[in-house]
Amino acid sequence: MASRAVIAGVGITPATSPRKQTSSSVELVQQAVWGALEHAGASPSSLDGVVIGNIDGFEGTVLGAKHLVRRLGLGAELPVSILNTGGTTGGNLMQVAARQVRSGDRQRVLCIGGPTFFGARDLQAAINTNSPMIVEQPLGMGAYHMGAFYPSAYQDRFGASVADFAVSAVQDHEHAARNPYAHLRNTLTIDDVVTAKPLSSPMTMAMVCPVSTSANALLVTSEQAAVTLRPTPVLIRAMATSSDPYLGGGKNDFAAMENLAILAQKVYQLADVRNPREEIDVVEVFCPYAPMQPMQLEALGFAPPGGGIGLIRSGATRIDGDLPVNLSGGPLCTNAGVAGELAPYVYVALQLMGDAPEAMQVPGARRGLAHGTGGTFFQFENLAILERQERS
Amino acid sequence: MTQPTITTQHVHWDLDYDVHLGATWGRFMHGLTERKILANRCPECSRVFVPPQAYCESCFVRTDEWLELPPEGAVEAFTVAWHGFRGGPTPPYAIAGIRLDGASTLLMHFVRELELSDPDAVRAQLPTGSRVRAVWAEERTGQILDIAHFEKV
Repeated sequence: MASRAVIAGVGITPATSPRKQTSSSVELVQQAVWGALEHAGASPSSLDGVVIGNIDGFEGTVLGAKHLVRRLGLGAELPVSILNTGGTTGGNLMQVAARQVRSGDRQRVLCIGGPTFFGARDLQAAINTNSPMIVEQPLGMGAYHMGAFYPSAYQDRFGASVADFAVSAVQDHEHAARNPYAHLRNTLTIDDVVTAKPLSSPMTMAMVCPVSTSANALLVTSEQAAVTLRPTPVLIRAMATSSDPYLGGGKNDFAAMENLAILAQKVYQLADVRNPREEIDVVEVFCPYAPMQPMQLEALGFAPPGGGIGLIRSGATRIDGDLPVNLSGGPLCTNAGVAGELAPYVYVALQLMGDAPEAMQVPGARRGLAHGTGGTFFQFENLAILERQERS
Repeated sequence: MTQPTITTQHVHWDLDYDVHLGATWGRFMHGLTERKILANRCPECSRVFVPPQAYCESCFVRTDEWLELPPEGAVEAFTVAWHGFRGGPTPPYAIAGIRLDGASTLLMHFVRELELSDPDAVRAQLPTGSRVRAVWAEERTGQILDIAHFEKV
């Protein structure tokens, strides 16, 4: 029988650099999985599915998810679904689990985000293999070069400066300083960001995400299967994904996140959100490059085109503002691959349950937005509106 | 007291691949050997694709009308890479999304002959709309680098 799907438990491990990490992938994932089950108050034997992901080439194997699952101690019979949508793998985990639950096929599905940026000695070289081969990769087009096209076009249209693009990096670091699970918890000034090593114009090193190791897990259940669990359930009110052309040259406009804007309209309609700025209490967007954040806030309808930087500068997106954005510090402060992409969903769920670490909890948060993106030139977007479901 | 332990083991991949281009990109690549930039057009919406694509994603139809585009166009977006990556070109280099005259999509390529010594001055080097022209490689083997780069007209 079809059911609505809710989030009923999350687990998350503290993050660190690969160099400082002494645990294996399996150990980190175990910690997150058992953390989620404990948070939920669910026994492993009550699970009827696992959704996990990996990214080609990042771990010295494409079997990362497959070899992990059987070593978690969750039982031998558990069906496993494996996703591999590149940089959006983590963001798609919840969407697949929720569809399994909504269909009535499963009751309790565990989404597992592993530390997939862990192994590669030269991670940048591994990530760069995702730029379109044959026609664009031979042009020295790596990951952050692709990311740089957007702010470059945005500068041209709206007159933004490098210092303008630094505002989201500064704010995300401020937020990460309050998040005990974040990797980079240092604060930065605008000047620190602007004078950091130039990477690909107009981006500097401080505008690009770190390589982190951590894991997280998120339990998706039917409404019925959440009744006996401990946390206040978080309803997956609306969710969807969308995709753009594979080639960078197929983009229509680099000065706007058009693909995300189309997706947002669809998801807002499903969730009956008329005025996102007023109706959403907490936001986590996936912006591994700082300039993406203001552009994403525009595409999500929180600011007019060209208004994203002003919105961040106004203080509205800080913890004490009316639209707190990336209180986790976002991927600019912690990016562990699949775990990093699942993180927006994990953190928004924690906020709505009222179970976020005290220093970062938004009081009374009722409705949240979680977002993910990835693929060549941010080809894939995923988005969900989540709602706290008060118990009667 | 913690137990002595071994933390990591080294794993190395050394693999080569042949990617089959198919008829559409195969024809495009062959065109480059003859200094021709071939594109195709959607019969429904009339958009012109370069590199060409076998189907129009918007109209769900085959795009089998071919045309040759001039090797000239306008820059719509660009970045200067101050850092490259292993196996890539030596930085700094500029990569641009170029709207060839008559094309509906952008062709990504290098733009050379720019003054790239000062990061603060690069924007002025290639304002949006800058006209650029393809410079052909002496030896052409049917790959995107048969166009060596573009330079300002």
